[in-house]
Amino acid sequence: MKTKSRVLASVLALGLSVTTLAACSSNNNDNGSNNAGGASNAGNAAGAKDTITALLPPVSPTYQENFDQMAKDFNAKYPNLTLKIEPASWEDMTQKLDTQVNAGSPPDIAFIGSDGISKYVQQGMLMDIKDAATPDMISDFDTAPFEYMKNGAGIYGFPAYMEAHALGGNKEFLEKAGIDYKNVQKNGWTYDEFREAIKKGVVKEGNKTSRYGFVFATAGVASKDYLGVLVKGAGMPNAFTTDNKYAYTSKNYLEVLKDIRQLIDDGSMPKELSSVDAGKRWNMFLTGQTMITGKGLATFENSANKNNEKIDANDGSAVKGSIKTDYIVLPVPSFAGQPPVTTVAVDGYVTFRGKKEPSAEHKANVVKAAYFLASGKVAATTNNDLFVANITKSGKTAAEGMTTNRNPDNVAAVGVLLSHAAPARPDIPVELGAKAIKLEDEVIVPKLQALLAGEISPEDMYDAVKKAAIDTFGEDGVVKE
Amino acid sequence: MNPTKKSFFRRRLESDNSWGYAFIAVALVVFALFTAYPVASAFIISFQDYKPLGSTFIGFDNYAETFKDALFWKSIRNTIIYTILTVPVALLLSFAVAILILPLKKWMQTSFKAVYYLPAVASGVALSVVWLWIFDPMDTGIFNKLISLFGIGNQNWLGSSSTAMFSLVFMAWLSSHGTSIIIYLAALLGIDTSYYEAADLDGATFLQKLRYIVIPCLKPTTLFLLVTGVIGSFQVFQNAYLMTGGGPDNATTMVGLLIFNNAFKYFEFGKAAAQSLLLAGLIAVVALVQFKFFGKEVEY
Amino acid sequence: MSLYRNYPDRSKAKLFRNGTIIGLLLLFALATIFPIYFMVISSLGDPVEAGAMSYSLWPSKISFASYKFFFDYSEYSFRWLGNSLLVAGSVMISNVVFASMAGYAFSKIKFRGRAFLFTLLLVAMMIPYQVTQVPLYILIVNTFNLQNTYTALIVPGLVTVYNIFLSKQFMSSIPKEIIESAKMEGCNQFQIYLRIILPLSKTVLAVMAILTFMDSWNTFFWPFLVTNTMDMQTIQVGLKNFRFANTTFFAPMMAGATISALPMFILFFSLQRYFLEGVTVGAVKG
Repeated sequence: MKTKSRVLASVLALGLSVTTLAACSSNNNDNGSNNAGGASNAGNAAGAKDTITALLPPVSPTYQENFDQMAKDFNAKYPNLTLKIEPASWEDMTQKLDTQVNAGSPPDIAFIGSDGISKYVQQGMLMDIKDAATPDMISDFDTAPFEYMKNGAGIYGFPAYMEAHALGGNKEFLEKAGIDYKNVQKNGWTYDEFREAIKKGVVKEGNKTSRYGFVFATAGVASKDYLGVLVKGAGMPNAFTTDNKYAYTSKNYLEVLKDIRQLIDDGSMPKELSSVDAGKRWNMFLTGQTMITGKGLATFENSANKNNEKIDANDGSAVKGSIKTDYIVLPVPSFAGQPPVTTVAVDGYVTFRGKKEPSAEHKANVVKAAYFLASGKVAATTNNDLFVANITKSGKTAAEGMTTNRNPDNVAAVGVLLSHAAPARPDIPVELGAKAIKLEDEVIVPKLQALLAGEISPEDMYDAVKKAAIDTFGEDGVVKE
Repeated sequence: MNPTKKSFFRRRLESDNSWGYAFIAVALVVFALFTAYPVASAFIISFQDYKPLGSTFIGFDNYAETFKDALFWKSIRNTIIYTILTVPVALLLSFAVAILILPLKKWMQTSFKAVYYLPAVASGVALSVVWLWIFDPMDTGIFNKLISLFGIGNQNWLGSSSTAMFSLVFMAWLSSHGTSIIIYLAALLGIDTSYYEAADLDGATFLQKLRYIVIPCLKPTTLFLLVTGVIGSFQVFQNAYLMTGGGPDNATTMVGLLIFNNAFKYFEFGKAAAQSLLLAGLIAVVALVQFKFFGKEVEY
Repeated sequence: MSLYRNYPDRSKAKLFRNGTIIGLLLLFALATIFPIYFMVISSLGDPVEAGAMSYSLWPSKISFASYKFFFDYSEYSFRWLGNSLLVAGSVMISNVVFASMAGYAFSKIKFRGRAFLFTLLLVAMMIPYQVTQVPLYILIVNTFNLQNTYTALIVPGLVTVYNIFLSKQFMSSIPKEIIESAKMEGCNQFQIYLRIILPLSKTVLAVMAILTFMDSWNTFFWPFLVTNTMDMQTIQVGLKNFRFANTTFFAPMMAGATISALPMFILFFSLQRYFLEGVTVGAVKG
């Protein structure tokens, strides 16, 4: 039996290698990408042969289908280079990447959120492409998203898109509640305006709420998205102030916490909010159980449109109990008289190094590959699929002629949102960033869940966060009042 | 007994040493490479500030920090509570089901076995979606529909610290017994019928047979299920992570989750290794107690 | 003669007893099988995104579009199943062979260091995999250079401590008189293992085969870690490709999950005769 003999053979092989194990592990410095230096075939006129590995998730529904084409196009452009793409599912790829990083053998390129950059910098496993990226490449990108790929003085890859985290409203219900959403799209709204608006969106049958004004996905770890989106508009565009003091000890933070509780106590948001997950609230939105939902991404408009088509087709494939909805992009309110700031997610192609210092040539090749993926046709196709704007000049050119059926009001609203996007903060030292992430996971998220569930008061939570922050950053490391 | 035969027998017994090693050789090689080596590495790493490009030795710092970490102790407490609530109950349930299946007709036995074993074959993703629906906080949730029949209002099952742990425990009760039932059944079938025959002659009742034949005979199996159950339960984090993400005020944060976060999210691999070894030590103590109680091998 | 009282056929007492038992078991079965039921009916829905999913007890329509979607989505859908079959099959066979040998040695052969070695095995099992994963990865990928091979998928699971422990516990109840008498008759340990232990352990070996196959079949993280092309992925890794950044193709994923559960069903039903009837010493002697 073939299987059996294979197993047997490997057992034997392993038995033999036990003795050599110790010797092997010490002199192996392969960085995981095959022949990183490209020693073979050197002297080829077009440059030495080299292979670049990339770990890529299904960024858009059609993204992974195009892998073969991407690799082919890349090879056509650079005949001496091979782009080897490893597919990975979105939610698991961090874990794979983290294991590879811990083992000292990450791929050359990985598609990740820019918020992950600082932790890999801290591990020393990112490759700074400052010297390898040509001015032509750099000038192709919009500045705001590009800043997100920096840390300290280094540049660690190219961004793919910058997506605004907004809210989404049901047009019919907004109109019924007398909300001038077009004005809100242009000029934003304050917390008080927002609070009154979503109060009007509530519909009751007897003493049972049949429609809420606002539902945000806050179950489990998603709860930090909710707080994160809100505090940006309360004068805290980042967990650290410009002079690198921890910001979440300011009194505005307490203000936001109180407001979070207030929206639930008003009855505008469900009291079970703390276990509403992303799927649940989208279902509530489509079935008319809420007027506004969050967080809202550009693709949601697409999903809502598709469901409308299915309702029209009347073949039982639409979401059960759903109604036709026109999805309206809405901004997140601002708090305590502070200017609105939009939370953005910048994801992109981040460049890694192995245990061995990469050669200048390999570095240049990796940069070529990262740029190839982040710009031009590849970027245009992907971003079009996702309903997000192109952030490269070459991508915008390539996107001309690709059609979308987006509501022009929404496109404009996203434009407004991105105009006050939270700026990147490459100046925050990685150690501080790491501490803030730990504080968020171990104190803020659990306390926030308790706050949402009505088990502690906003003051309790504020005090707990403040105490933990002072323990972590010291009295002088945090904002006072 | 004639002397030549005796010495022959003795030689055989002595050669048991080499037979023993021959029998475990393959298992031992695989174990040494793929379990012992990683464990030994983890042990070394637990004394390091681990970095892929070069670690530094820091002595017992990782352990010391862990001992000072209040969240570590809270998660140990949660894990112990979870284990106490789930493992014995799941074991009793599987035992009862295995006993109850026995008198049925063959085809019925097979169908029931298949049904109980089924959840084990379903993908974890499918299961977690269903459980989220069961614990849906709105009145559309299955559980909330059920309790509304008794006039109880909506419960925020996973979102409130008073019910989050119970919800996870309940989930374990209903989804973690497939394997145990199959193993118990196999063990029950291995009991020699002559014991029952003898008991019948003495006029023993069902309960007496259970007490004096079944339970003692199943001791090795029970020990196996208990030890592996406790190990699994102490290391659990997937459910807690997927369903509650730690829960309000860390009500359902398990040690497994903490170790995972340290190893990957915060890249404090040395600390994760230290916590793992402490956890393993705790499990070992629990296992030792179990071996004391159930380990006396039954001789026939 | 059995644990239960033997009532004459069709007696009222027997009907009542079995009826009660069946009732209880059915109730428990309903609760147990619900997730599977849900998995199957959702797989019959349209290939829509999960956010737009509706929970219902009855399918609003029955279509096999999701199954088609599953197989059309990737040219590797069949290959994923094949890979899983190869990996789980190899792991199952080697565990049945080597874990039962080790289990026999640990339960019935007295050799020096037995207790110590067994304790070592058990203790190693108590270390959470989160921390052993990275050294193991370094060993397989960086040291042995085995990434993206079947060897890498198979070897770490060749013999598991769980299975050694399981077979040890079952074999410990085999009366030692049989072994002693076989020795007297001149059998060596290997012959004893082959002719006496294996036939007597059919039940536990069948159980071990099923559990091992299932475990290996359902393993996600390790295959995910060591494969880096779609053609080497196993079905569990492939299924996750239906999850995207903000959406999930739910019904096709459930269709895939249903398909991936089938081999385990087949294995279950083909092995179940081994653990319907117990194998006892008497049976072998006679």
